Amino acid sequence: MSAATLPVSPRPPAARRPQAFVEPISSFAEAFLAQAGRLNGATELGDLRRRRFERFKALGFPNQRAERWHYTNAARFLNRPWHPAAAAELGSAMVTPYLAGGSRARRLIFVNGRPAASLSHVQGLPPGVIFKSIGRVLAEEPAAFKALLDQDREDDGLTALNAAFADNGAWIDIPAGVKLEVPLQLLFLTTVEAGPTPMTHPRVRIKLGAGAELRLIETHVTLGQSKGLTNLVGTVEIGKGASLTHDRLQLLSEGACFVGQLAIDLEAEAKLKQTIATLGGEFVRNEMDARLKGNAIDCLLNGVYMPVGTEHVDTAIRVHHLAPGSHSNQFYKGVINDRSHAVFQGKIFVEKPAQQTNAFQQNNNLLLSDDAEIDTKPELEIYADDVKCSHGATVGDHDPMELFYLRSRGLDRATAESMLTYAFAAEVFERFSDVPLKLLARRMAFERLPGGSALQGML
Amino acid sequence: MLKIENLKAGVEGKEILKGLNLQVKPGQVHAIMGPNGSGKSTLAYVLAGRDGYEVSGGSVTFDGHDVTEMSPEERAAAGIFLAMQYPVEIPGVANSYFLRQALNAIKKARGEPEVSAAAFMKLLREKAAVVGVREDLLKRDVNFGFSGGEKKRNEILQLAVLEPKLAILDETDSGLDIDALRTVAEGVNRLRSPERSFIVITHYQRLLDYIVPDVVHIQAHGQIQRSGGKELAGELEEKGYDAMIGAVAA
Ligand SMILES: Nc1ncnc2c1ncn2[C@@H]1O[C@H](COP(=O)(O)OP(=O)(O)OP(=O)(O)O)[C@@H](O)[C@H]1O
Ligand SMILES: [Mg+2]
Repeated sequence: MSAATLPVSPRPPAARRPQAFVEPISSFAEAFLAQAGRLNGATELGDLRRRRFERFKALGFPNQRAERWHYTNAARFLNRPWHPAAAAELGSAMVTPYLAGGSRARRLIFVNGRPAASLSHVQGLPPGVIFKSIGRVLAEEPAAFKALLDQDREDDGLTALNAAFADNGAWIDIPAGVKLEVPLQLLFLTTVEAGPTPMTHPRVRIKLGAGAELRLIETHVTLGQSKGLTNLVGTVEIGKGASLTHDRLQLLSEGACFVGQLAIDLEAEAKLKQTIATLGGEFVRNEMDARLKGNAIDCLLNGVYMPVGTEHVDTAIRVHHLAPGSHSNQFYKGVINDRSHAVFQGKIFVEKPAQQTNAFQQNNNLLLSDDAEIDTKPELEIYADDVKCSHGATVGDHDPMELFYLRSRGLDRATAESMLTYAFAAEVFERFSDVPLKLLARRMAFERLPGGSALQGML
Repeated sequence: MLKIENLKAGVEGKEILKGLNLQVKPGQVHAIMGPNGSGKSTLAYVLAGRDGYEVSGGSVTFDGHDVTEMSPEERAAAGIFLAMQYPVEIPGVANSYFLRQALNAIKKARGEPEVSAAAFMKLLREKAAVVGVREDLLKRDVNFGFSGGEKKRNEILQLAVLEPKLAILDETDSGLDIDALRTVAEGVNRLRSPERSFIVITHYQRLLDYIVPDVVHIQAHGQIQRSGGKELAGELEEKGYDAMIGAVAA
């Protein structure tokens, strides 16, 4: 990786031309009308939700002309007649394959957007630790949830749409100094009972006090080829010297769309290690906005996406260095096959006070088919002069030397290629903090590889 | 067993081997020495069938068969093994798993029954002990994060497990400390047999003190310039290439 000090580049104008946004179809208004009175906290949040729905209507869905999108026409995937997901009961056997974090993990399990109390296990955490559903927060202290919505960005239609419908999700509070030993898992499942076109709008709110530690696992699964839209909005606050590891695994069916935005604030000496694996979904967008507000922060964002068929996966990262002496690293890999399309937009901002910043970004892609497409756009915007920043992107095929090495040991070309493809992606799986999750990701990855079933013995 | 006649080969249109002759009989150990860039690794790659290494003249026969049109995996199944100068790292693939896949692929190609996971682990442990590979390296990913010396030992472990008829060692000694050199050489010596031949490419006589060759060749300018007994290596160490090859050329 080459390190370079880059010259100051001008900040682009915050252009938002009207044609960059598409007006929502009428089904959203119908759904809101039908649903608003039934949402958790309907009385306390009714007005706010109505205002957010109006905002959503005004802002609409972005297409490629919108600055943060560019390579993805989100409206094409999202502006469809979705309906609020119907509730369903789920037996524990259906859930077991997706449990992560080990037997001591605490879990909140959501089925079609609603917490499933019989499957979840949240008891027995140290005093002061809060781990509960947003539904409960709305029942116990709606003002707290309202305060959360008050902090929403005002320029984003998807956030507004989420605010209009959100009445569930997870609320996590780790008080200062508490180093939580057991991991917490958030498991979001969608079943066919949710309906043919279900939508859910989960909220996730995570706060770590100074010196706190948390291992968080977030899993999104569509069962039995169920379809639907998940529009997740999350806020993460990592206090001074606190440490969060966040593993996200997405196992979504061909008809499932996922858009998730995380706003992450890090205080001095905080640590974040996030790892995301996207293994399926008609359209998946993972968006992260990290703000490094102090010195000696370590912010590591890892990810891997492996689209097949006509899947579309889009990663958008913005890392803002606001204070001196912090470190960020984006490490993303893609295996892109068939007619699928992957997008990686990673941007590093280094503001003027943020001297002695170390900021790196690497996006490596394996393109396995002539019809597959990757758009990778690493960007730097640097206003400080004493920084070390680098970015790089590669798009390619297998390394001929690696292929030769495996074949010279007797493996045929097809087996050698699938082993190398697997190994390419596995470098990111290895970064999952949770071992059961890593094993699940590996197993699911084999199904996405040409000839991958022959590799199952590897587990 | 191996007969190379007037071999001309190159890469990307550049001719590197310019009429090379070499004959290796079953059970023999041949050492090839030669200056940097003289085409030693090229010869090794041509024998193992690396893509892009084009044979433009001459012949290579192995056990009576022309191998130049065979794929690398076919050559592996035929019993050719190359321990590489720069072994490749494969993160995400466990060493033991990889070796079992390789062994079973070769067995399958030969129409032999595959080895079960349990039987293989037993075999692997035995071989690892023979060539001095620590057990924890078996569980680790292939060469990933291995030290230079560990990678070279791992090549010899693969050799021990795959049991080829012809093993080509390309600078297996470089990067090894003195103790590792001795263990690796002892491993190789234990693998010597009347049916198995070796081509040992090296820059140093020291390796040949441990793995005593039947024949030593000096390769330069894409040809074998001189061949002799093991004393040739000592002479070379003393006089250097200029004097030795110059004498031939003159
Ligand atoms: N892909 C390539 N394209 C062009 N020239 C090449 C290529 N690969 C090797 N060569 C050249 O072929 C010549 C022989 O290289 P080779 O690696 O076979 O030498 P060597 O004898 O193994 O050297 P060393 O002792 O340094 O390992 C060198 O001049 C090298 O630069
Ligand atoms: Mg060489």
